[in-house]
Amino acid sequence: MKNNKGYHIIILFCLCFLAVANVNAQSDWQVPVEANEKLSPFLFDDDMVLEGRVAYENSCTSCHGTPSQDDFTPMSPPPGDPASEPFQAQSDGSMFYKIKTGRGTMPKFADAFADDELWNIVAYIRSFNENYKQELPNMEGIVIPEYAMKLSFDENVDKLVVKVFAEELPQPEVSVSAYVMGTFGKHLLGKAQTNELGIAYVDVDPTLPGDEEGRVNVMVKATKGFARAKVEEHMVMAKATERHSAIEGRHIWSTDRMAPIWLKITFFVSVFGVWFALLFIVFGLRNIKKARKEA
Amino acid sequence: MNETITKGHLSEEQIDRDLLKNVNWGGTFKLWMGFLTVSLIICLYYYYQQLRNGLGVTGLHDYVSWGIYISNFVFFVATSLIGMLVSSVLGMMKVDWVRPVARIAELVAVAFAMVAGLIIITDMGRPDRLLNVFIHGRVQSPIVWDIAVVVTYVAISALLLYIPMLPDIALCRDKLNNVPKWQQKMYKSLSLGWNNTAKQFRLMNRYTRMLLVLIIPIALSIHTVTSWLFAMTLRSGWDSPIFGPYFVSGAFVAGCAAVIIAMYFFRNNYKLKNYITADHFDRMGKLLVLVALVYVYFNINEIIVPGYKANTADAKHVHEMLYGHDSVMFWLVQLGGLVIPFLLILFKPMRKPLPLTLISVIVLAGAWFKRVLIVVPTQLAPYYPIQNVPEGWTGYTPTTPEIAITVASFILVLMIITVLAKLFPVVPIWEVKEDMNHKNN
Repeated sequence: MKNNKGYHIIILFCLCFLAVANVNAQSDWQVPVEANEKLSPFLFDDDMVLEGRVAYENSCTSCHGTPSQDDFTPMSPPPGDPASEPFQAQSDGSMFYKIKTGRGTMPKFADAFADDELWNIVAYIRSFNENYKQELPNMEGIVIPEYAMKLSFDENVDKLVVKVFAEELPQPEVSVSAYVMGTFGKHLLGKAQTNELGIAYVDVDPTLPGDEEGRVNVMVKATKGFARAKVEEHMVMAKATERHSAIEGRHIWSTDRMAPIWLKITFFVSVFGVWFALLFIVFGLRNIKKARKEA
Repeated sequence: MNETITKGHLSEEQIDRDLLKNVNWGGTFKLWMGFLTVSLIICLYYYYQQLRNGLGVTGLHDYVSWGIYISNFVFFVATSLIGMLVSSVLGMMKVDWVRPVARIAELVAVAFAMVAGLIIITDMGRPDRLLNVFIHGRVQSPIVWDIAVVVTYVAISALLLYIPMLPDIALCRDKLNNVPKWQQKMYKSLSLGWNNTAKQFRLMNRYTRMLLVLIIPIALSIHTVTSWLFAMTLRSGWDSPIFGPYFVSGAFVAGCAAVIIAMYFFRNNYKLKNYITADHFDRMGKLLVLVALVYVYFNINEIIVPGYKANTADAKHVHEMLYGHDSVMFWLVQLGGLVIPFLLILFKPMRKPLPLTLISVIVLAGAWFKRVLIVVPTQLAPYYPIQNVPEGWTGYTPTTPEIAITVASFILVLMIITVLAKLFPVVPIWEVKEDMNHKNN
């Protein structure tokens, strides 16, 4: 009898635990107040949306599906569609926090993405909300500088030199990221910060393949707070690519010009030789006619 | 001297009478020609359909773009090769028994070679594009080589039919007084004033000899080049260095069978039993055994070498052939059309005229389907899988227009042979006489 009672208590305890656990799983995800109020240090623009989209498609689509299509993976708890109302009702800071820290089946992306890349994803998710207006910090008295950049390549040390100015004054502590634009997206060359002379150096791999003259299309972004600038420039700083025709060399059959001399001689000599012999015989038939009177 | 040229001793008058008898336009001929013409017109209607609507009326598609047209072309070129083997190789080796049948072989060669060129045109949706081969052709292209050798082979075969026939044309000119006027005129101009002078014979023999030498490389190249149309590609089943000799040896099998069939019909319909004897059939049967053996040898090579190594694509191809999709046709052709016939012909009774002719019909049919087996299955096994295409594209079935146009090519061959065999004696009269004199002396 005593034993029986013990069992009851254990079963009751287990049931309670399950109930609590279930409630816990379905309860709202509590985001710390400070994180909830955090604002993006960047102004969401088309550029960020585009980059966020690439990141989203690589890392988020498998569970959340394509935003606004409601095609997320059926899981418990459901991952939800980021374009849906409950998602969009959150603050920017809350989204940023949740992506960064993760919980349960939602992975933690702190190690996968830098902060600016996380903000790109937020910008992308916000792009599905027509009513969204980005909340900005109090900007009174703050002037956002307009950056200008000058790019050059130091071939002695294989470094891309980026000078950042605002109204002709060098800008220190600006984050600079340089990319090489390829046919299928861009490749990160490196990230750096400008020194007190407003100069940032980015290493360039000298074996990087360029076009016939060693040119590559370089894109450099400079950001500091809400100040942003972007330049794209063709620069000679990579290895020149020697282009070879895919049909040169042994491929004798490819074009008329490729016909080797031995083949031309063999073909034409045989054809004309045989036809010469045939014509010789055809004309020789006259001799047979002439020979009718001879014995 | 062997005994096969003629049976017994015949007078020259008798020979002339027997061999010139068929040069007439009798009722049977008219009936036969009428039948051929009507059939041809029916088939030509289908060709008109193809011209109007394009190759869509055929079973050809993006994967199998070479169907029974090209198989038929290969078959025709193959069959025409026998002219070279009989009149040139055996003729120059002084194998005397072939002399009475040499002209029949040459007739078969000319007819099949001429129509082979036409078949290529039927395979083109736009026949006018043939000009592009001459305008834009490249010396490296096997298609340009093919056009060059086919044209040359037709010319050389026609000359080889014509020049040794000069004394017989002269005989027709002198003896046939009851033929239409145009025909008499034709004999007169074609005979080139032949007068049986020693110099004329000397010249004729010289030119014939030149042609006999020339035709050997040309005939070998025509069929080797035809095989290269396939072998110069990287497709499994075609990508084979022995395709040239493989095709040539197969050609002799088809050609021997065709000549035996033609011999049988001429012997019976033209009453030539004294000239085309049972012994000729016996010897042609032995020749067929020889060429069939060589062909079997090449067939074994074609299957065993890729089958043993079994790289991915070849293994699939060999598998389809031996026990896959094409296995029924493969074994019917290889056993029924090649191995069993040649085993049968090993026995003397099977080399009698009628059994040998029946076996030859089967061999010839087998040879035709063998060409289909060479051409089609390879195209159905591309290196990239066939996907996202209409359902019918995973196979190939020839349509009615396609079959009708192919039948038309056979009708054309029969018409050419029929007309030529009615215009000229099918057995060389002067050679038979010469042989007879030789024997009598």
